[in-house]
Amino acid sequence: MMTRPQTDFTAAEAAMTDTAEPILDLRTLSKTFGEVKALNGVDLKVQPGEFVTVVGPSGCGKSTLFNIVSGLEEPDSGSVLRFEGRSVMARDLLGKVSFMPQRDLLLAWRNVIDNAILPLEIEGANRAEARREAERMLPEFGLAGFAKQYPHELSGGMRQRVALMRTFMFKRDLMLLDEPFGALDALTRAMMQRWLLDVWSEHRRTVLFITHDVDEAIFLGDRVLVMTARPGAIKLERKVDLPRPRGADLVTSPEFIALKRDLLDAIEEESMKTFGPNAH
Amino acid sequence: MTAVPAPAGSFPAARRFGAVLPLLRGVLALAAVLAAVELIVIALGIRPYVLPRPSAVFEAILRTPAAYRDAIIRTGLETLYGFAAGALFGIGIGIAFSRLRFLRETVFPIFIVSQTIPVIAFGALVVMWFGNTILAKSVIVFYLTFFPVTVNTLLGMRAVDQKQVQLLKSFGASEGEILRKLRFPTALPHIFVALRISSALGLAGAVVGEWFGDTTGLGVLLLQGMYAENMVAIWASVFCSALLGVALFSAIGFAERRIVFWGGSDA
Ligand SMILES: Nc1ncnc2c1ncn2[C@@H]1O[C@H](COP(=O)(O)OP(=O)(O)O)[C@@H](O)[C@H]1O
Ligand SMILES: [Mg+2]
Repeated sequence: MMTRPQTDFTAAEAAMTDTAEPILDLRTLSKTFGEVKALNGVDLKVQPGEFVTVVGPSGCGKSTLFNIVSGLEEPDSGSVLRFEGRSVMARDLLGKVSFMPQRDLLLAWRNVIDNAILPLEIEGANRAEARREAERMLPEFGLAGFAKQYPHELSGGMRQRVALMRTFMFKRDLMLLDEPFGALDALTRAMMQRWLLDVWSEHRRTVLFITHDVDEAIFLGDRVLVMTARPGAIKLERKVDLPRPRGADLVTSPEFIALKRDLLDAIEEESMKTFGPNAH
Repeated sequence: MTAVPAPAGSFPAARRFGAVLPLLRGVLALAAVLAAVELIVIALGIRPYVLPRPSAVFEAILRTPAAYRDAIIRTGLETLYGFAAGALFGIGIGIAFSRLRFLRETVFPIFIVSQTIPVIAFGALVVMWFGNTILAKSVIVFYLTFFPVTVNTLLGMRAVDQKQVQLLKSFGASEGEILRKLRFPTALPHIFVALRISSALGLAGAVVGEWFGDTTGLGVLLLQGMYAENMVAIWASVFCSALLGVALFSAIGFAERRIVFWGGSDA
């Protein structure tokens, strides 16, 4: 994303930014399940290399959004879905986007290495080569020495790292991470966040990251999106102008706290709708 | 890469011992029961015509070991052939049913109806068709084994986590790859449950099948014992049948622990 020289931000520049080909471009994206409207007019552009975090009340359609972008669900007609500059059907994205669902979904009969290389196997890669590559990546994912362990022998945090490694091994420019640390305790989670930023800065992929934790959203993202209560849409979008690499002390800085207050206000407003008298 | 977690080193030996342990326990329990029966029969003075002493039964077996050995081999082969065919057919057709709705809706009801035919009636038919051959008994065993395996394979193929299916799809997997890499492994624990049930059913089928006419086999020995009113011979055949059944059951259990090592089910 840093290919152009930085100049003053003008209207012309803004127009250029628009043409500077987002990797993912969603316009008026909606999704209805029978009676339930899950998404209602999501507009979202993601630039290559960007780390975008999405927060919103539970049930607002975050996972549905990911299911569409990973190709598993088609959006309602009238939705525009553009990927790498081309208008596509959701199903065209199957195999194009690396998707990490909310649960680790590891296969119980495969050890750590063989779980990690599953996407490569499906791509038709040479299995021995894929295994060697996975072996090399183990230390980076904190799994050194666990190559031959099976999922039932691993802790929750380690299983999640295996799932992340599997996602990284599926080398696609766009990565979708759905609450990857949602089930972890606070300490493990903070460690995993810093670690994810390290890994991300190494691999430089575009990341779309769902969380229900505002701290996490700010700490990780270049940009935070707040979604409305169901039917989901983008309510608020804030750039996170905090320097990288980011350390643990960042969360107590005034900029961080100010941003957090704004975002929390927006989220609270939406959560109230879910619990309010007119809630479905 | 070389740093293997500490306990893993002693693991294989421990696991092997763990597999033998239940067998050992079973043998000890059996020996204890037989000893108890022996004592009770002697203490209460139960006449051999009602219940012979276990030691008398063993003596009978040891007097003509070849007859019992041949019978075990014969009945064992009948069971094994029929069971293997039934298992393979059941797994294959179960997978086909899970994929092809048309086949499921047309053929499955026929299977169900076929299972309502009593095995005795079916046995008579089979012996008329195939004569007093090993094949005839194997067909009866097949008839008894394939159905539970079919049902459980179908069940297992459907027990798959839809989220895992979606994950594989997101990697670009085809239906065939999802079947091989996800559905079939998920079905394996269910399949093994059916195999264990089927092995017992199949052995009973082989023994009963021999009653329609044969010259060797455990069923034959049972029948001969009955006609001769020889209680000891009957019990000797029963013991040999049990031995065969336990061996079959243990073999399946052993295969299950190796293949479904992740402990999909422990039913
Ligand atoms: N396959 C589906 N069929 C019917 N309703 C669905 C389906 N998937 C999601 N929904 C509904 O859409 C809404 C949004 O769900 P989801 O995207 O999982 O929310 P989130 O991930 O934000 O918690 C929920 O009300 C959920 O019940
Ligand atoms: Mg969700």
